[in-house]
Amino acid sequence: MAENRTFDLAVSPHVGSSQNTKRIMWDVVIALVPALIAAFWFFGPRALMLVGASVLAAVVTEWLCLKFMKRPVNFAFDGSAVVTGILLAYNVPPGVPWWLPVLGSAFAIAVAKQAFGGLGHNIVNPALLGRAFLVASFPVLMTAGWVAPMEWKDGQRLDVQACGVSTADLSQSGELDALSGATPLNVLKQTFDWDGDGERAGQVRTMLYSTASLKNLFTGRIGGCIGETSALMLILGAAYLIFRGVLELRLPLSYLGSVALFGWLFGGQGWFDGNPLFHLLAGGVILGGFFMITDMVTTPVTKKGRLIFGIGAGLLTMVIRRWGGYPEGCSYSILLMNLATPLIDRYTRPVMFGEVKKNG
Amino acid sequence: MSKVKSFAGGTHPPGNKGLASGSAVVTIPAPGEVTVSLCQHLGAPSKPVVKPGDPVTRGMVIGEQNGFISLPTHSPVKGKVLRVENAPMPHMRSGPAVVIATESEEGGNVYEPMDKWENAEPSELIQRIKEAGVCGMGGASFPTYVKLSPPRGTTIDTLIINGVECEPYLTADHRLMLERTGDLIVGMKIIAHVLGVQEPCIGIEVNKPDAIELLEKKGVKVVPLKVQYPQGAEKQLIDAATGREVPAGGLPLNVGVVVQNVGTCVAVADAVLRGMPSIRRITTVSGRGVARPGNFDVCVGTPVSALIEAAGGYTGQVQRLISGGPMMGMAMYTDAAPVTKGTSGILALSPEEVRDVEEGPCIRCGKCVDVCPLRLCPSIIANASEYEKWEDAEKAGALNCMACGTCSYVCPAGRYLVHRIKRAQNEIRAMKRAREA
Repeated sequence: MAENRTFDLAVSPHVGSSQNTKRIMWDVVIALVPALIAAFWFFGPRALMLVGASVLAAVVTEWLCLKFMKRPVNFAFDGSAVVTGILLAYNVPPGVPWWLPVLGSAFAIAVAKQAFGGLGHNIVNPALLGRAFLVASFPVLMTAGWVAPMEWKDGQRLDVQACGVSTADLSQSGELDALSGATPLNVLKQTFDWDGDGERAGQVRTMLYSTASLKNLFTGRIGGCIGETSALMLILGAAYLIFRGVLELRLPLSYLGSVALFGWLFGGQGWFDGNPLFHLLAGGVILGGFFMITDMVTTPVTKKGRLIFGIGAGLLTMVIRRWGGYPEGCSYSILLMNLATPLIDRYTRPVMFGEVKKNG
Repeated sequence: MSKVKSFAGGTHPPGNKGLASGSAVVTIPAPGEVTVSLCQHLGAPSKPVVKPGDPVTRGMVIGEQNGFISLPTHSPVKGKVLRVENAPMPHMRSGPAVVIATESEEGGNVYEPMDKWENAEPSELIQRIKEAGVCGMGGASFPTYVKLSPPRGTTIDTLIINGVECEPYLTADHRLMLERTGDLIVGMKIIAHVLGVQEPCIGIEVNKPDAIELLEKKGVKVVPLKVQYPQGAEKQLIDAATGREVPAGGLPLNVGVVVQNVGTCVAVADAVLRGMPSIRRITTVSGRGVARPGNFDVCVGTPVSALIEAAGGYTGQVQRLISGGPMMGMAMYTDAAPVTKGTSGILALSPEEVRDVEEGPCIRCGKCVDVCPLRLCPSIIANASEYEKWEDAEKAGALNCMACGTCSYVCPAGRYLVHRIKRAQNEIRAMKRAREA
């Protein structure tokens, strides 16, 4: 052949799957949209505003950090900052001022992510550390900004209170004044403290565990953080991720299973007295189980490690819910397990092929 | 068909076999000039025994065996030696080669045919396979006679013939199983006779149902295998077919198994039945960068450009020219490089077929760990290698990696995992050598 062609040299393999980091991140963004719709429906346009502000803050902070560190700024648009921004906003109450999620996002990106080297190098989940920072710095705002579902439409004439129990039932039992504005987990926590009044505590818990109340928990017709309330919409998003091959199920399943088991074991007043379904649906377990614990960067790379991580996080969640200082332990449990990730990876390294002879 | 077997891990790259699998093998005449590499086999290159101007006959030894893991090299044509020089080779660098001007392709049956091989001593057959220069035709090109001479005290009870061909695009072994079935079966029986194995079997992926059916009809024991990359890797094939795990750092013979490629069987049959040295092979030319993908029977030393021409020439933009399959093959910078005994295919890939992503940071998704057929943590080894922590890489099992490419294939960040692990292997081996010296 006369022509002298030359070809580019590259290392094998020369072909690859269509999966890439950007696609994964934007898939997660898409999967978070149903929960956003639920947030808008239950908490009004204000929820959208807070999420938007948070995302904008995350992307701008990422861009500024990269610029400052003279690294390629296109990393700011790989979708990972958008995911952090959304998740941070999903983890604040809907009644907070706009600057709170903005501050949280900026902290999450600048301190939890970029200070450690950016995408892939952070030790803990940025959104969760951002939330922890807000809870520590603005405890009142972060624990009192609860808004009852549909309050933005119905004003004070609510048929369901923030705890998911109907207004009629609550007033009938005489608890309306004591428990208005509290989230389901808040209410549960209060019942644990009513030592002298077991009858009252039992009554309230019966209301919390009622089918009507659990139904509200499932659809998201309860008070809570912006994106955590609607289990239905979060599961819809998770189903999309499974369909797209992004979600590895070991982490979500081990976490949810662990929460259900320990929830039943000690999630009530005594032993074997908890309601596993209530513990799965209340608070941030569904959001955490499908979207926070599945953050690839901060969780183990080994299969066995992911199971251990999920079980450990579930146990910690329930320990905090039952005996901790906060009504909800989801975010702290994941943060704590994030710190254990290198250790878990180290001790769950798979046995190499042929390392132990199967046949002598 | 018996139960479909497989190994754990791996991935499923698009096969793209349809491009060439339907094309019967076409024999290409030797070009005017052949460049015969003296390092077509793994191990020490053959020592050239001809000089420019020497006349050579077809099948004549032009390079002598030079050590235990080495083989002689034969002339694929009758003609005259032009040069003994360093020429571009398919594996990215240049290597010693004998360039011969072709006169004809007559003769070549330089050894006494052994029709009664059933009565021959294994040592006689091993001698023949060695002098005929037969090496593994699956790609690694390990001298076959070495594999057939297990050290004293080892018992080989299983012979697996590798007809898996798990690399995408490649169909040469598939066509060979269909078109040279008789020689394949004889070659297999010869090897079984040498090793004293009673019932050899042949592993074939189920995407070649015609080959499975044909061989089963001829009474060969076929192990049907799931379409899953790297099903044809020696250790994975043994695992799938027998459930035995070759020890890390060990050889198949440690678990009583020998694996031989289907093409090797045919080369053995040629050497024993016809006295013909290993000077030809069947190879696939495919990819969307060539006009008419197909399978070709060529003599070694044929330049890749001649193969491309036989396949209708290049079409459109060719981003990458590969010797071998897309998962483990080597990119070539020029099509002047010659075909060797190990050239299982030549691929001209268009930009759409090549994955060209910018490498991003590892997002620790663990996909590489999930798919690694050797149960390594590729990302951990590659990260250690990136920071030149060779001891850490070694501890993480870098030396066990066979560079099958599954991890890089699935990596969403487009990381050069295989590249980094190979680099670590080189550094670790250099360190070990330095320590011993």
